[in-house]
Amino acid sequence: MSDQSMAAILEGRTSQPQQLIEALHDVQQLSGYIPQEAMTTLSQELGVPLIEVYRVASFYKAFSLTPRGRHVMTVCMGTACHVRGAARVAEQASAQLGVEPGGTTSDGQFTLECVNCLGACALGPVVVLDGVYHDQVTPRKLGRMIESVRRAESEDRLHV
Amino acid sequence: MEQYVTLTMDGARARVPRGTSVLDAAMEYGICIPHLCHIPYLSDMGACRLCIVEHIENGRAKVTTSCTLRVQEGMVIRTNTEKIRKLRRNIAELLVAEAPNSRAVQDIAVRCGVKEVRYPFRNNDCVLCGRCVRVCTEMWGARAIGFVGRGKERHVDFPFGVRPDFCKQCSSCVDLCPMTITPCDGPMKPGEERLCGKCESQLQVTEQIPDTCVWCDLGMGFNCARQA
Ligand code: SF4
Ligand code: SF4
Ligand code: FES
Ligand code: FES
Repeated sequence: MSDQSMAAILEGRTSQPQQLIEALHDVQQLSGYIPQEAMTTLSQELGVPLIEVYRVASFYKAFSLTPRGRHVMTVCMGTACHVRGAARVAEQASAQLGVEPGGTTSDGQFTLECVNCLGACALGPVVVLDGVYHDQVTPRKLGRMIESVRRAESEDRLHV
Repeated sequence: MEQYVTLTMDGARARVPRGTSVLDAAMEYGICIPHLCHIPYLSDMGACRLCIVEHIENGRAKVTTSCTLRVQEGMVIRTNTEKIRKLRRNIAELLVAEAPNSRAVQDIAVRCGVKEVRYPFRNNDCVLCGRCVRVCTEMWGARAIGFVGRGKERHVDFPFGVRPDFCKQCSSCVDLCPMTITPCDGPMKPGEERLCGKCESQLQVTEQIPDTCVWCDLGMGFNCARQA
């Protein structure tokens, strides 16, 4: 994260501890996670003790303390999805990406997450890829989803 | 001039300065309310839930923690009803299950009349009482430790898990931690959890006099506010 973007986030917020969560949201959005240096800077600039910044950042699910992949895949493991075979979908995801749930692939392409119910039980098994809901996912369908993301990325790279 | 309020605790009238907590008032009057997270010179956060009492309001009894409850004029409090004792015993049991190897927790359990623990032992090294966090923040203003994470993952830690250079290394956090006091016979092995004979004998006192302070030996284990 560059000094400039940090300065932009801090603009008009210096010495305003109540802005902490807003600022953390901005950092999260910009970097995809909350780096330690960002927390240290926020602590100094907003006048919030470092441990408080860390406590807040570690408390909310909206903030991630480790770098996240460019694509985030969330597999629902809730009851409804589970009885329809979510476990096999998750296994497929882990195997194909080579990471455990909660992990990020070494090339930074994917982050795999498992959650307990996304509130769309009738559509289960549900998988969310980059904010888009996919219903009735089977291991095969999931495999194709991962492939298409990979293909799109490698094509992008060719065009740059 | 200090203002006083009158309240009724277990049927007895008590006069204490305004702003006192019900727990402190009870201690002052020799009523025993077991407590763990309360430290007289620190703020109260109601973490351990041991100090619960019944607060009677409009004919309804509300169970609440006495360390965070301020006295009010005409308040009616019951500290040792059958119901409270049962709830408290259960809380103490949960604490033992969480940290069976702490003398402080054992002492509390004994004072609450726990004879068997119905929960699986988890052997965690922390009951999240927050004593360490509060002493660091309030006494020393160092703020080197705090609660991190949420739910099952909540624990006490340094920022980013590394001791910061602004930690004063005063070790007050360690001194106040109830986990640092080991059981009389040393740490227990799994499957061999029991009390030493002396602690065992205290159980009788607990049975006979559950509600009045007897200046029990147990108090020293968990820093009972009466002994402080
Ligand atoms: S480390 Fe000790 S003092 Fe701190 S919260 Fe845990 S049990 Fe309490
Ligand atoms: S010394 Fe023992 S009996 Fe007295 S208040 Fe403390 S715990 Fe209760
Ligand atoms: S169980 Fe998967 S959406 Fe509810
Ligand atoms: S002493 Fe009141 S909740 Fe712990």
